[in-house]
Amino acid sequence: MSTMKTTRDVRGVGLSIPRADGAEKVTGRVEYVADIKRRGLLHAKLLRSPHAHARIIRIDVSKARALPGVRAVLTAADIPELKRKAPTRAHAVLAIDRAVFAGQPVAAVAADEVAIAEEALDLIEVQYEVLAAAVDPLLSMQPGAPPVADAGTEADTSEALAHSAVAIAKGETPTKAVNVSQTSQVKRGDVAKGFAESDVVIEHTYRVPMVHQGYLEPHAVLAEWDTAGNLTLWASTQGSFNTRSEVADVLGIEENRIKVIPVECGGGFGGKIRALCEPITALLARATGRPVRYVMTRREELEAGMPAPQVIIRLKTGAKRDGSLIALEAETVLESGAFSGTVLAVSAVFLGSLYKWPAFDIKGSEVLTHKPSVAAYRAPVAPQTIFAIDSQMEHLARALGLDPVEFRARHLSRPGEPMVNNQPWASHGGHEVLQKAAEHPLWKERAGWKARGSNGKLHGTGLALGGWLGGLQPTGATVKLNPDGTLSVLTGQVDIAGTNIALAQIAASAYGIDIEKVKITTGDTDTAPVTGLSAGSKTVYTVGVAVMQAAQDARRQTLEIAAGELEASVQDLEIVDGRIVVRGVPDRGITLTQIGRKGNLYMSKVPPVLGSAHPAFSQQAPAFAAQIARIEVDPDTGEVTLHEFVVVQDAGRAINPLGVEGQMQGGAVQSLGMALTEALAYDDKGRLTNPSLLDYRKLTAADLPSIETIIVEVPSPAGPFGARGVGEPPIVPAPAAIANAIHDATGVRITECPLSPERIALALIGQGSTRPTA
Amino acid sequence: MAKQILRCAVNDEAVEVLVQPYATLLDALREDLGLTGPKEGCGTGDCGACTVHLDDQPVASCLMLAMQARDRAVRTIEGLSKGALHPLQEAFVRHGVPQCGFCIPGVLMAAAALLNEKPRPSEEEIRYGIAGNLCRCTGYTKMVTAITEAAASMPQGASSR
Repeated sequence: MSTMKTTRDVRGVGLSIPRADGAEKVTGRVEYVADIKRRGLLHAKLLRSPHAHARIIRIDVSKARALPGVRAVLTAADIPELKRKAPTRAHAVLAIDRAVFAGQPVAAVAADEVAIAEEALDLIEVQYEVLAAAVDPLLSMQPGAPPVADAGTEADTSEALAHSAVAIAKGETPTKAVNVSQTSQVKRGDVAKGFAESDVVIEHTYRVPMVHQGYLEPHAVLAEWDTAGNLTLWASTQGSFNTRSEVADVLGIEENRIKVIPVECGGGFGGKIRALCEPITALLARATGRPVRYVMTRREELEAGMPAPQVIIRLKTGAKRDGSLIALEAETVLESGAFSGTVLAVSAVFLGSLYKWPAFDIKGSEVLTHKPSVAAYRAPVAPQTIFAIDSQMEHLARALGLDPVEFRARHLSRPGEPMVNNQPWASHGGHEVLQKAAEHPLWKERAGWKARGSNGKLHGTGLALGGWLGGLQPTGATVKLNPDGTLSVLTGQVDIAGTNIALAQIAASAYGIDIEKVKITTGDTDTAPVTGLSAGSKTVYTVGVAVMQAAQDARRQTLEIAAGELEASVQDLEIVDGRIVVRGVPDRGITLTQIGRKGNLYMSKVPPVLGSAHPAFSQQAPAFAAQIARIEVDPDTGEVTLHEFVVVQDAGRAINPLGVEGQMQGGAVQSLGMALTEALAYDDKGRLTNPSLLDYRKLTAADLPSIETIIVEVPSPAGPFGARGVGEPPIVPAPAAIANAIHDATGVRITECPLSPERIALALIGQGSTRPTA
Repeated sequence: MAKQILRCAVNDEAVEVLVQPYATLLDALREDLGLTGPKEGCGTGDCGACTVHLDDQPVASCLMLAMQARDRAVRTIEGLSKGALHPLQEAFVRHGVPQCGFCIPGVLMAAAALLNEKPRPSEEEIRYGIAGNLCRCTGYTKMVTAITEAAASMPQGASSR
């Protein structure tokens, strides 16, 4: 099914076609939630706890309610749907009697103007009893730590289901550490024996702090009820059907009473999968009987968004002098913030089975702290895990005096070999990617670059390999032939990455018509078939299959109608330039326009062509990226200058190379941000110390060189035209690639991100010398 | 507080609008004049999504009061070109620069201001010219290529409009 043949070449799959909404976006005409106007629109603001952990003694909203222009003020007491032991952030609409992170909403206001709503927040009086907060995840695991969740709260594993699509065993019941919400363990062989037999044993603890997804458009939603009790939500979301389900669950209403209109999403990267401000906005709209819009401020995003978890991995590995891997032991701690919802399985799979370890023992814990709860961030937990395992492989190779790329290639799991959960690795192009990276001049000429360091500056080159297992989710699509012979494709897929043009290209090639004749629409939850999230690098991989099958279905229907009209057999027909002809008899034909028209004529006996498909999936397509960084380090200041950066990535089949390159470049820079500058920094009371984009430092154009992209194509067996997901792999390798480059330049291995000047300079002082040693 | 009358030129047209004295230029453009091309990404001048031109200079419209634009000329993304796309816009489309698109109006206004100053900027000058504009989707590479190409396609000294 992956190589649907069209009878002639059409303008479709494989071409670098600019996306159809480009002109709308460069003229500023595209509408985001904050741009929408509704009659009688009110504006919402939330009062948030200034304390990471506090008992709420009393809330007095009387002065706020009395302010002219204020239409509603809500606290938990006004919301009968609220339940204790909220399993997710979305369910914890407002704090009931305990705030569990600084920034948790405790009251909500809807007013005629944003400024009035802000003034009303100042008039709300809250009396808190400040409690001790669990801030450090390792301390939070210890007995006696201040508890985060109410006793009996269930762990939330939906993120794992949405993202990793791999299952691993749950760990043994934890030793009743209060804030450990999930555990896992995978084991094979005898690790202790393995270390005893190893010639080289290396142990490091790797840390990557909480980071924010950094989408430019803050969370925003507009809610409006009709008189019959139906709710419409204009949402900035990565999955309108998921938003609908979550809001329905929180509000306790039927899903078909909620229409989610997915408005243009100004970036998500995993942070706009789960519902966040939709429930409270809907409740304010219900309370006022008016449309209400809520737009988070950037400060709120940083203080109370849903960032990526802090990841701490203690990793011990043993190898023989001949380079064979012997044993791996790991303990992973994922800091989930105030609510459960991380992905333990991804970490275990990459630690234990990206490379082949005869013996391994990998424990994982999800730990709650008094910080904002986390969510996915593009390849959740993979960059942090690859930072650990790739750094470790590099260090082992250096310690053994082996070529680091050959060392990785020798041990990289091949398709069919078992993962930690004993399921076989699916087909992947990891070896091909590594090979291509090793051939790159940046890598081949690394010795020359190192030797050219001058004026006290140290030069280094780093390479790392990382990837993503590939997500899956059932999904649907329809393709209809219009009376003028054009095609309309409908899905509910939110286009956060340029996927709509790729899906339209798939429809064009599968049907046999040029892309210019295909239009694709993202429908709302009332009109579109049920469609999965735009997440997990699965949009083209799964929705692409639905669109391809729907287009094939439409093609089949079209040819059957033509066969009747032409008195020919379907097998003898082909579509050429918008006309169906009998092969070898070009005079006998009927145009797509004629067939389209017959399907829409009064008294016509020809049915309209409507192709549809709604597949489910079982076959993942892992996708790998290697990145090479050429850097310069100033040993006095610790500053890293990035001179060149290359991304080599297996796209399976690049449906739209232009779009694939954009994903590779954008992902690489997010990865570099995690490597070099980004961290949500908390004080010892659990308050964010850098809640602005001045202090939460994202990379700018001036920090970066152009990102070179090399697309490798190792077709996936089940993806449309052999495509693999391309969104996640490029965010994975850079923390390790930069750490490896620093190691190359300075001889020092740094195991904590961001690899900031301060950290590098201190490490070089700690080493007692800035001379390269390796 | 009583609203005040703001008289200025916006995209070459004289406008007269009542604004709150505390309203930012960005608020006035978006809420009172219906020009929602400029975006609020941070409200503190750190992200550049609200960039507009004030008397041909790029400014963060979220950091200015609306009344500071009195008797001055404001240009937003909606007024970057008339009819056909500006060469920068055209190059951005052709190179597939916009992904989510939220930063794009600000980046284009920063780039247009740069080309007003320096019709043939170097790569480094382009990178510094848009360094005040955060983009989370593109990694900036295609942006820089598109700006370089647009600059090369434009006659010297005719970079604006």
